[in-house]
Amino acid sequence: MVVDDDLTAALAALRAVGRRSSVARGLQGGVEQRLLQSIVDATASLFDAEASSIALFEADPDRLEFRVAAGAHGAGAVGLQVKPTEGIAGFVFSTGQALALTDVASDPRFDLEAAERTGYVPRSVAAVPLLDDEGSVGVLQVLDKRGSPSFSLRDMELLAIFASQATTAITATRVQRDTGRLLGEVLRQVGDRTMTDAQVEALVSDVTRGLDDHPEAPFWRLVDHVASLRGLGERDLTLVGDILEVVARHAQRARRRA
Amino acid sequence: MRLRGISREWAWGGSTGAGVRVGIIDSGLETDHPRLAGRVVQSVAVELVDGDPRIVQDESGDLYGHATACGGIILGLAPDVDLVSIRVLGADLRGKGTAFAAGLEWAIDQGINVLNLSLSSKSEALFPVFHDLVDRAYFRGVVLVSAANNVPAASYPSLFSSVFSVAAHSEPDPMRLYYNPTPPVEFGAWGVDVPIAWKDGGSTVATGNSFAAPHVAAMVALILAKHPGLTPFELKAVLAAIADNPRRPTPRVPNRP
Repeated sequence: MVVDDDLTAALAALRAVGRRSSVARGLQGGVEQRLLQSIVDATASLFDAEASSIALFEADPDRLEFRVAAGAHGAGAVGLQVKPTEGIAGFVFSTGQALALTDVASDPRFDLEAAERTGYVPRSVAAVPLLDDEGSVGVLQVLDKRGSPSFSLRDMELLAIFASQATTAITATRVQRDTGRLLGEVLRQVGDRTMTDAQVEALVSDVTRGLDDHPEAPFWRLVDHVASLRGLGERDLTLVGDILEVVARHAQRARRRA
Repeated sequence: MRLRGISREWAWGGSTGAGVRVGIIDSGLETDHPRLAGRVVQSVAVELVDGDPRIVQDESGDLYGHATACGGIILGLAPDVDLVSIRVLGADLRGKGTAFAAGLEWAIDQGINVLNLSLSSKSEALFPVFHDLVDRAYFRGVVLVSAANNVPAASYPSLFSSVFSVAAHSEPDPMRLYYNPTPPVEFGAWGVDVPIAWKDGGSTVATGNSFAAPHVAAMVALILAKHPGLTPFELKAVLAAIADNPRRPTPRVPNRP
């Protein structure tokens, strides 16, 4: 057990890390979602497909969650969850092997339940894994090419390229997604090694409390404003920096007066 | 360079694969599927107990349909082989690589002649485990046939040199085989719009390297049934010799004056 002073200092440090991470996430403004969306948009358009979607793996409970979709019949898939032990997406995710099936709808025994929940039952489907250094993180799917009843080897190669783009987008933002887990690990190191999961969880939520406020809170609106400045030239950014410095000094004086 | 005197007739003429055991390390075979026609002689699964793998009898059929598809392709070419189902895909995703390695080890130690693998692992931690297993298989004469991965990143065991790594070609002929002299992918077999068996007694049409690999597994079984005792090294040489690659013109050797 570390002494209380050490723990207090560690918590303060973790709080600073958590705050910076949250600000970074806010500044990013859903870049992952936008990139993934642009990938399924491009896929649906290139293949002239009825639908294209990306599902990402989420743990506890293990599931594949459809995050983005495109195409005339894609919208119904967003938000859908399937078990990794089921269906084409589950197989491709579990094995890392790309595959395509034709004549899906003609066989009533085929795994249609998930498809029916999206409101669209495809005739053909191609699925490729999103693979990072550790293994599968999700699946990219395309349903029904309008010009052809099946998918060619070239199609599968192109899909693999789109999948690697999607994986890059996801890996870049995973650091933020894993902040909570990281905090938990660090707490175990600095704290008592016999701490239960629940105790660690309580400390982590204490550390991160107040960081993920309602997105409309004034602080996050400010973060949004700053995020919108990306792409400005160096001169404009210097001007914005000067203005912010003046505002910050004003804020300091206001605090001292209070 | 082509080995002379080795023809398809010599390699597997009259062979049905009788007496050869082929293991499918995958999602579990649906033993009562009409396309498998009572050829499944054993079904096991890898269960993880507190993270430790254990081999148990398996009666849960095929989770996805994929193992059954591979089994059906193999029986289509080699109707008299005995199939062994080794299910390594299951509920516990975190132990996936461990289960795969345990299933592979069990199958090698059973001396199953040919193993069809649809999985691969990118785990650095499992690299030495798979390396040892693949060597063990090679030295015991167990043939490992693996679907090549489409992505350029490293994945094991499909990239190890003694494994028969297979990619798909699109010519609709189950016996059409290509040899690629520039590995890691060494063989090409039919893998586009292949009619396959699927779960719950069903069937469909599929594309992917994992449907090409079982064609090569079946060819190896046909050769082994006719020529028992050939080593993995010899079997690769036979496949290369009977492949459908365009023949290079024989170089003209100038007569010396």
